[in-house]
Amino acid sequence: MLAIANLQVIYDDAIEAVRDVSLSVEKGRIVALLGSNGAGKSTILKALSGVLYSEHGEIRSGSILYDGEDCTNQPPFQIVRKGLIQVPEGRQLFDQLTVEENLIVGGYSGSWRKTRAHLADVYDLFPEIKPHRNRISGYLSGGQQQMVAVGRALMGEPRMLLLDEPSLGLAPLVIKQIFEKIDHLRKELGLSVLLVEQNARLALSIADYGYIVERGRVVLDGAADRLLANDDVREFYLGIQREGERRSMRDVKHYKRRKRWLL
Amino acid sequence: MDYLLSLVVSGVVIGSLYGMIAMGFAMIYRATGLVNFAQGEVMMLTAYIAYSFQVDLGLGFAAAVVATLVSAVVIGILLERIFIRPMLGEPVFSRVLVTIGLAVVIRSLVIMAWGAEAQPFPAPFAGNVVRIGSIAVYASQLFVVVTLVVLGVASWLFFKFTRFGIAMRATANRESTALLMGINVVRLYSMAWGMSAFFAAFAGLSFCLMFSVEPDMSHMGLRAFPASILGGLDSVTGSSMAGVIIGVVENLAGGYLGRGLKEIAGFILIVVVLMVRPYGLFGQREIERV
Repeated sequence: MLAIANLQVIYDDAIEAVRDVSLSVEKGRIVALLGSNGAGKSTILKALSGVLYSEHGEIRSGSILYDGEDCTNQPPFQIVRKGLIQVPEGRQLFDQLTVEENLIVGGYSGSWRKTRAHLADVYDLFPEIKPHRNRISGYLSGGQQQMVAVGRALMGEPRMLLLDEPSLGLAPLVIKQIFEKIDHLRKELGLSVLLVEQNARLALSIADYGYIVERGRVVLDGAADRLLANDDVREFYLGIQREGERRSMRDVKHYKRRKRWLL
Repeated sequence: MDYLLSLVVSGVVIGSLYGMIAMGFAMIYRATGLVNFAQGEVMMLTAYIAYSFQVDLGLGFAAAVVATLVSAVVIGILLERIFIRPMLGEPVFSRVLVTIGLAVVIRSLVIMAWGAEAQPFPAPFAGNVVRIGSIAVYASQLFVVVTLVVLGVASWLFFKFTRFGIAMRATANRESTALLMGINVVRLYSMAWGMSAFFAAFAGLSFCLMFSVEPDMSHMGLRAFPASILGGLDSVTGSSMAGVIIGVVENLAGGYLGRGLKEIAGFILIVVVLMVRPYGLFGQREIERV
């Protein structure tokens, strides 16, 4: 459904944020994009949504195929119309607008009638936000805001959702709830999801497949359970000590040990 | 008492004119984050166009008003397309300077085309006197006040209930997210300029009905700027009300405290108000979650 090939993104004509990244997401699948701060995960999502230009970034080479159509360098509103919709990092609500107005803006590319119908759907999915529909969204709690952000994206009838760190700054219980809803949507509507996360354990618990990005490159990819079993992933992303090994000074100073995929 | 009343009435009338111009300022600022210093000149240009529709083309008053409004919207959209859009992504300072340049160019072109002398504006009803209780006002003055009320209410409804209006507020609030929601921000900018010129056209017509068509009317643009600041630069409806407040305060200051104070009363008022409410009377305050 989505296929990125050899994507290279450069900011300000100087900084290469993403280099030669290829990845694909099939319909109805949840694919996780993992990596630490500044690895280039969010940049990949911005490239997909076509909003790099607002940060002086550009796609230098490579292609983005969505549904067999090339959508490299298309204007953002056309990408949204195709059903490729992003939930940005840190929620980014229109904080001066009410909850309902946020949702209405999410349905901007569809008709009024559809917007009305989808409003009811979103309130069904997230009953917690319905009592707050006429409140200014900036005053909601973090968890409620994330629900509004996801709901807002759903208003645009996505066929693929790009989720940028939905767990950022939220309580574990709320995170669990939101991830359950996303899993539910995938099963119910056949929604595909590209999930960017720093929290690898969380992401791999829901995803089918994962890519690990470091310094702008994909360094490892595989099915979620295989990644979970990978020694390097366990050590560097999940913080699990190998079993049966004695804890020597060498292990403690593990920054000396190089990750195998960098060799 | 009569003196006070007549000061207030003429203050409301001139304030309504300020309000319409200020709405134009706020419209563009709200959508694009830019102060359009050519607002007064756009108003002047539309007034001359209205004049030509009537005198040169011989249209009736109502037809001339409609034709003027339509051409104003077209002019607004064209100005954005030709002068402002190429500056997209440039620093705000450069873009604001473009609008100042635009102001000079429009003023000169209008003087070249229509001449520098004031012309009487043909208005069928403007001189009629309407009595409301003990006060008598000209029909043209009543027209101005009613127009402002209608525009103010219409803009409030527009921003509150229409999807396009909500999208405009959303874009002003957080443009990067507006892009992700599928809002065609570039088109929205050009619509904002069109609507701003629409307000300017009403202001221009109002001015002509009360006074005459003259190049100096473009100075009204800067006279109305305090109203925009007072209302909160980003609040279109607020600007309309703030215009009336400024008009009344100016007139009262001029009437009771001396003529010299009339010009600066509005500015003193905004200094005081901004100390208490830095975002203006009706502006949006930033929401900060900790």
